[in-house]
Amino acid sequence: MQLHYDAKTEEFRSELRAWLATNQPDVEEMRAEPSTSSAHLTGWSRRWQRRLFDAGLLVPGWPRELGGRNLGPVQQLVYHEEMARIPVRRTTNPQGLGIVAPSIQDYGSEFLKRKYLVPTLRAEISWCLGMSEPGAGSDLASLSTRAQVHDDHFTVHGQKIWTSGAHHSDYCFCFVRTDPDAPKHRGISVLIVDMKAKGVSTRPLPALHGRDDADFNEVFFDGVVVPRDHLVGALNHGWSISAGSLAHERGMVWLSSAAYLDDMVERLRKLARTMGSDGSRIGESGTFRDELASVYVDAQAMWIMGYRGFAKFAKGNISPEHSLLKLFSSEVAQRAARLAAEAQGIDALDNEAPRLAYTEDTAMPWIRRYLQTFASTISAGASEIQRNIIAERVLGLPRR
Amino acid sequence: MDFEITPEQQDLVDSVRAVLERECPTALVRDIIENGSAPRQPWKSARELGWTAIDVPEAQGGLGLGFHALGLVVEQHGCAIAPGPFLATITQFLPLVREVADAGQQDRFVRAAACGEITGALAIDHGRAALHGLGDSLRARRDGNAWVLDGERRYVLDGDRADEIAVAARVDASDGVGLFVVPQEAVKAQRVVELDASRPLAHLRFEGVRVEPSRVLGAPGACAPALGRALEQATVAAALECVGTCQTLLDRTVEHAKTRRQFGHPIGFFQAIQHKCVDMFVQVEKARATAYFAMLAVAEDDARRTLAASMAKAAASDCQRIVCKEGIQIHGGMGYTWESDVHLYVKRAKTLDALFGTGPQHRQRVADLLEI
Repeated sequence: MQLHYDAKTEEFRSELRAWLATNQPDVEEMRAEPSTSSAHLTGWSRRWQRRLFDAGLLVPGWPRELGGRNLGPVQQLVYHEEMARIPVRRTTNPQGLGIVAPSIQDYGSEFLKRKYLVPTLRAEISWCLGMSEPGAGSDLASLSTRAQVHDDHFTVHGQKIWTSGAHHSDYCFCFVRTDPDAPKHRGISVLIVDMKAKGVSTRPLPALHGRDDADFNEVFFDGVVVPRDHLVGALNHGWSISAGSLAHERGMVWLSSAAYLDDMVERLRKLARTMGSDGSRIGESGTFRDELASVYVDAQAMWIMGYRGFAKFAKGNISPEHSLLKLFSSEVAQRAARLAAEAQGIDALDNEAPRLAYTEDTAMPWIRRYLQTFASTISAGASEIQRNIIAERVLGLPRR
Repeated sequence: MDFEITPEQQDLVDSVRAVLERECPTALVRDIIENGSAPRQPWKSARELGWTAIDVPEAQGGLGLGFHALGLVVEQHGCAIAPGPFLATITQFLPLVREVADAGQQDRFVRAAACGEITGALAIDHGRAALHGLGDSLRARRDGNAWVLDGERRYVLDGDRADEIAVAARVDASDGVGLFVVPQEAVKAQRVVELDASRPLAHLRFEGVRVEPSRVLGAPGACAPALGRALEQATVAAALECVGTCQTLLDRTVEHAKTRRQFGHPIGFFQAIQHKCVDMFVQVEKARATAYFAMLAVAEDDARRTLAASMAKAAASDCQRIVCKEGIQIHGGMGYTWESDVHLYVKRAKTLDALFGTGPQHRQRVADLLEI
C-alpha cells in the first residue's frame, strides 16, 4: 500500500505533460470543426491522433510500430490519468481505437492486420461496432443478423441498432449469426463490413436529450456481400471476441469515468457559488451541501476503487472491479447531474446548449446532462445486468 | 497509488482473523449482552500477540508497524464484532496521549497501553467531533500548578471501566483546548443503557477533579491541533471497524440467501434478492476503499488526512445504512428475532456510526473543506 508513485513514474508523467502542452490540439481549431459523433474523424482529430501515434503515445503498452512504447502497467495507468485530465480525448473514434484495433490485433489474420490495424491507429479510417439489435440488447447472444456462408464470401441480411457513429464510419466490426442451428453463443462470427458496400444503409436515431445529437443509428444490411477473408478469427467463434474486445484496457477504462465525476464535482462547486431561483446562494442550502459532499466522497471512492482494481489487474488477477466501477460511476454521475438540475430550480428548464462537441460539452445545461447520463446506466451492460454479473460471479449467488 | 494489501499485511490479517475466530465467537459477544459477562478475550490475545503495540514506535516499546497495520487489525475486530478495551485503548486513548505526552508520560501511559498493562478511554465531545470541536460542558481552570475539571462528558466508550481517561476540555481563560489524563476513579461514571452492550458507554461527571502537573498533557489552551489529529485517528479506526462489521453482515446475508429456500429455489436465485446483495457489496467496497485511503493518509501524515478521515466516516455511514437495512430484510422473519445474530452486527454498526460524528456531520465537514 502506498499513496504515491515512484520517482521514475513521476518523471514519465512530467515528460508526458510537457509533450501534451505543446502537442494538444488548439481550442479554436477544435471549435471550428467539431466532431459530431463517435466515428467522426475531423481534420484536427486525425492530425492529433497521428501525432500521438508517431510519438508512441497512442497505445503506450504496445510496441513502437503500433503507436506505443512498451510501457508497463503502472506507467500506462499514469498515462491514462493524464489523458483523462486534458479537455480532449485521444481519439474521436473511441470504439475504433479501444475495441476494434485490439480485437484485430488479437484475432485478425495477417491480411486483416496489414489492411486495417495501422490505418485505424493513424486515424485514417473509422469504425462502428455492429452489436446490439432490436431483439438483442442486454442479451447480445440472441442476435439474429444472418450471414450466409459461401465459398468466397458471406451474404449479410439483418439489422443493428444503437450503432454509435455508423453514419460517419468507414467500416463496421459486425457480429453476425453464421450457424443458426448451433446453441446461441456458438453460432456467432465477426465480419468486417465496408459501410459503403451495396445494401448497407443507416438511419440516425437521435437521443432523448436533443434531436441534433445523433450518435446512434439503425443499420440495415440487405444482401451485403462480404469477402471471406474479412472474417475475424474462426468461423462461429465470434462470442469469445465479444468477451475479449470488451476486456481491453478494462484495468484502466474506469479512469475516464473517475475524471468525469471529478469534472462534475468542479462544475457543482461552481454552481454552488451562483444564485438559485429563490435569490439565495445555492451553496448555502444545507441539503445541497450534504448531497454535493456525498457526490464528492463517491467520486473520490471511485478513484480509490479503481486503483484497487488496477492493482489486481496489473498482477494478472481477475477482478470484479470492472462491473463494480461501471455500475457505481454511472449511478453517481446520474445523481450528480440530478442534484445540479434540482438545485437550479426553475432555471433548469433553460435547455439552450451551445454546440461544442469536441470536449465534454462545456456548457451543456444540467437537465440535458442528466438525461444524457442514462447513456451510461444503459449502454455496455445496463446497471441491472452489472448487478446480475456481480451477484453471480462475485457473490456466488445462484445463476438463473 | 496502491491500496492493495501486501503479502506481509495479508499474513497479519490472516493471523488476527484466525485468533479472533477462535477466541471471539459471536456466542462470547452474546454472553456479554445477555448476561453482562466480562470475558478476558480477545484483549488477552491482543496483548500477548502484540496487536496493542502495532502502531507504537519501537523506541516506546512498540512494533512500529504503522497506522495502516493497526487499521487492518481494527477492521478484523469489526468483522468479529470483538468486544473489549482494544478500540478505546489503542485507537482512542493512546493516539491522543501520544500526540502531546512528555517523556515521563510516554512511559507512564503510552508504553503501558502499548504493552496492555493499562486500559484507556477518550472523553471528547462526539456531537462536535466531526468539526474537531468541543462544547462548553466540560471546563478546565488553573489552580496553582494543577488544573481542575468541572462538568460532563457523555457517551464515553469504556468510560466506566478503563483505568485511565484521556480528557479534552475547554480551558477557562483562553477558550482553547486542554488535554488531561485522569484516573477513572476520579470521575463519577453513569453507565448508559446503550444499544450495543459489547461497546459499553458511560456519562462521566467531573466534580472539581484535580489534575496534578504530571497528568497535564502539553500546554493547556494550545492543544486543538493535537486533539484534531487524535480525533482523525479515532474516526478512521471507527470507520474501519464499521467496514469489518458490515463485511461480515454482508457475508452472512449472502450465505443465508444461498441456503434459505422458498418457491423451490434458494432465495438468492431471485433478482430482487441478488440486487439487494449487490447494493450491499458496492457499499462495503466503497467504504473499505475510502477507509484504506484515510488509513494511509494518517499513516503517512498526508496533507489530505482531515478530509480523508471525514470521507471515510461518511462512506462508512452510507455503508452501514444499506447493509443493516438489507441485511435484516433479506434474513426475513429470522432477521427480526433476538436469537439471530443479525442484530449484533446491526447494533455494532449503528454504534460506530454515531461515535466521532455521523455521516451527515462528516459530510458538512467535507463541504467546509471543499469551500462549498
